[in-house]
Amino acid sequence: MQNKPLSFSVDIRLNKRKNLLNFDFSIVFTVFLLGLFGLAMIYSASGSYTLVLRQAMYFFLGAILMITAAMSNFRKMEPIYLNAVWIGFFFLVLVLVLPNSGTTNRWINLGFIGFQPSELMRFLLPISAAAYLTRNPQIKLSDWIIVLVTTLVAFILVFLQPDFGTSAIVLLSGIMPIILSGLPWRFIIYSFLGGIGTLPFLWMSLMDYQKERIYTFVSPEADALGSGWNIAQSKIAIGSGQFFGKGYMEGSQSQLDFIPESHTDFIFAVIVEEFGFLGALGLFLLYAFLINRLLYVAKSSNSKFAKLVSATLSIILAAYITLNISMVVGIFPVVGMPLPFISQGGTALVVNMITIGIILSLRRTT
Amino acid sequence: MNNFSREKFKTGEEYSRALFFLSPFIFLFSISLFQVFNLTLFQGDKYQTIAESNRIYQKPINPVRGFIYDRKGTLLAENIVQRDLYVTPVYIEDSSKTILMLSNLLDMPYELLEENYSRGLKKVKKFDSFPLVKALNEEQIAKAKVNLDSISGIEVKATLKRYVLHEETLAHVLGYVGDISSNEIRRDRLLAELQNTQIGKTGIEKEFDYILRGKPGIQTQERDVKGKLVRVLDTQGAEDGKDIYLTIDQKLQDYLFKLFENRRGALVAIEPKTGLIRALISSPSFNPNILNSIVDTDKVESLFSNKESPIFNRAVSGQYPPASTLKPFVGLAAIENEVISWDEKIKDDGEFYVEGDPRPYRGWKENGHGRVDMRKAIAESSDVYFYTIAFDLTLAGIRPMLDSFGFGKKTGLTDFEANGLLPDKKWKLGYKGDFWFKGDTINLGIGQGYILATPLQLAMAYSGLANRGVIYEPQFIQPADEKSFKPKKVAEIQLSDTKDWEKMEQALVDVISARNGTAHKVFDVNSAVIAGKTGTAQIKSILPGKEYDAIRENPALRDHALFVGYGPVEDPKLVVAVVIENGESGSEVAAPIVKSAINFYTRGFDAK
Repeated sequence: MQNKPLSFSVDIRLNKRKNLLNFDFSIVFTVFLLGLFGLAMIYSASGSYTLVLRQAMYFFLGAILMITAAMSNFRKMEPIYLNAVWIGFFFLVLVLVLPNSGTTNRWINLGFIGFQPSELMRFLLPISAAAYLTRNPQIKLSDWIIVLVTTLVAFILVFLQPDFGTSAIVLLSGIMPIILSGLPWRFIIYSFLGGIGTLPFLWMSLMDYQKERIYTFVSPEADALGSGWNIAQSKIAIGSGQFFGKGYMEGSQSQLDFIPESHTDFIFAVIVEEFGFLGALGLFLLYAFLINRLLYVAKSSNSKFAKLVSATLSIILAAYITLNISMVVGIFPVVGMPLPFISQGGTALVVNMITIGIILSLRRTT
Repeated sequence: MNNFSREKFKTGEEYSRALFFLSPFIFLFSISLFQVFNLTLFQGDKYQTIAESNRIYQKPINPVRGFIYDRKGTLLAENIVQRDLYVTPVYIEDSSKTILMLSNLLDMPYELLEENYSRGLKKVKKFDSFPLVKALNEEQIAKAKVNLDSISGIEVKATLKRYVLHEETLAHVLGYVGDISSNEIRRDRLLAELQNTQIGKTGIEKEFDYILRGKPGIQTQERDVKGKLVRVLDTQGAEDGKDIYLTIDQKLQDYLFKLFENRRGALVAIEPKTGLIRALISSPSFNPNILNSIVDTDKVESLFSNKESPIFNRAVSGQYPPASTLKPFVGLAAIENEVISWDEKIKDDGEFYVEGDPRPYRGWKENGHGRVDMRKAIAESSDVYFYTIAFDLTLAGIRPMLDSFGFGKKTGLTDFEANGLLPDKKWKLGYKGDFWFKGDTINLGIGQGYILATPLQLAMAYSGLANRGVIYEPQFIQPADEKSFKPKKVAEIQLSDTKDWEKMEQALVDVISARNGTAHKVFDVNSAVIAGKTGTAQIKSILPGKEYDAIRENPALRDHALFVGYGPVEDPKLVVAVVIENGESGSEVAAPIVKSAINFYTRGFDAK
């Protein structure tokens, strides 16, 4: 009931038709550019039309959802957002319960397509958290605690799959709204110290292959033919690209299948091998521009909810970009994380595009 | 104003906090850019050299596929080395010159090589290789070794191919192998790491593929700029597939296969007391090696387009009307339902009429068999006797007995089995759009009409007669110790009087041993005593006014000949079902094979 006055007042402003398409087209343009470039790179890396077609299908779906989200009156649906997190929990539990095909439990198969519930969660969780924290004028300590507990449960569910990289992202996506909404600094510092205290336990619960990746990062030469192989080959690909690159479809490292997962997690190496430093610089600028425009919403909005959601989603996106690239160039341990808008993978692409759509709508409606 | 106060709450700090928590990522982002700068510009030359010269491959090592043996350890399927000539187009400077050189060296027509080359070129990615010549012969291998070692872009690769020793004889049991298709990978993710190996497509090769295939290993190799192997850096061995021992008796199988003389038909021979399959034949057959290593695509095409369908497994997938071989089961149903007793006689004058229907149901013998009881009706295969009891039993009386002997159900031996067909009213309404008539029941009484059975189902049903009602699960895998082997029961049929089993067996023995038996021609005092039943399956119904002789002019419409039997009756060791398509007379073409099978199996030679 208490949502009524808000919804009503916003409604009046938004019902003007001309406002519907009034969103930041430079963001849409950047996303399309990245997505199409991604399709071209997936083809170069995999040589498979089937993969490209599937990805193009997801890209098309993502574009529709992005535009729809951007045109929607995002804040009108606040009660829905409050409960969106339950959808995420439903699928996270389902994926653990359903029989799995390998050693990890990450996918839900709907016959012709599959999707990753963890990717869904890292997007639903911050929206629900923001809606919950801003439902009353004054945030109580208990609100923060409830959001924190919810976040930890989601984190553990993804961690159990096991998927270390995405579970860290889920953790971040739940904690950011808490911090941004004004949690006193002393709490932040205490929790940070407390978090460091749990690191040994976290280490013990890692799977063997995850530990191995961290060892490899610390001393890559120790196992140059084993798990250090990926990073070594990735660096050779990047370095041999030099300033201008070897040309599209001409990268010997990627075309000869030296680069593992070249169309998913390691696609950045293929990009630099074929387009050189120049290509990498262009991509960095595009990403920097995108994050900057997205953060502008957090700065200019006068709604706390909009600020929390757009800032958190932007930070998550930035985290994906940064962690993926720093992993591929060998300055961060290997964690399975796709490069937003470019790596092959349907769920991530669609979720990222909806994220952009939501931020666009937040910007438009403030 | 209500919402205003709420929304404006403590605004401003969110953005600065966001920037604060974004800063580590901005930091990492900048370092990454610097690292790219460092790798491409400061160390670019070094990495360029590494990328060009020090090419390290991780090459999967394929596991060796397990061998297949028969019950006595006779080798049935092994692997042989096949050497193919591979080319990598990217390393070949002048393709026409290279092809000319190869055509001279390998003594092969230039046009053929050129065609293969341009066809292969379209299929592969830029740096990939493809086979230009498959299955090089000894001479070509020797020449290639001497002359091609120094030429870049050309390589002789050895792969293991499945090789079946007894070729046509066991084709349908073993099945064949082939390359993994993308569809198969989608269904079974484990196959993805097995690329470039062969997996089973049909038969034992497919059903027990998970045992035979093994697990691949990885070899790390260093190669030079031109793709030639410099040295092997590391090897993680593959886990080879395991061998399989089949229940098949290769000597029996060989012997029986020859008796088929390429006639169309099938045979299934099972040990009734264990369910172990001792021989399984589908004829005409094919040579699985043609498919195991596809060198000649024309041969493969002709195999699949052959009108005789040699690849089709008639023994488990062929569905035939069981004809008179069904009579013992109908007879037992009649006794059990007290429709008739063993001594009661029915007058058979060659025709049977239903009240109010002028159409006669004719028996196979024009003037009939006179007054017959059950024993004589089985031995002489009186149709009128079975028309009468089927009519009295009705469908509801016949079906449960047939069902309990396994008609209309898969036995579970393989995935490639057909169901057969045990019709009922619902089925007829659904598939034929018509009601069940009394005439349908009468035809069912002599195993004609809609009912269909596979040779495997017939053998299984007769093993039930041999075992006094118990049927064991059929299987292909030889138990480690036959004596202690405990087969799984799949059916246990109880008759109210167990003496009925012996009485039915006696009637089935009469089929061969009695002077008036339909298969008395194969009677032989030296042979084991065999209980069995002939069958002649009509595939075209004889319309009024038309005689069979007119139909038989077309060989494809001639009757199928069947015989199912077991022996020796004192202690049944083998039950055999034989179908010869368009063979016309069960007693003349099918019964001799069954007799030979039982004698050969139990005595090691055939009584003549």
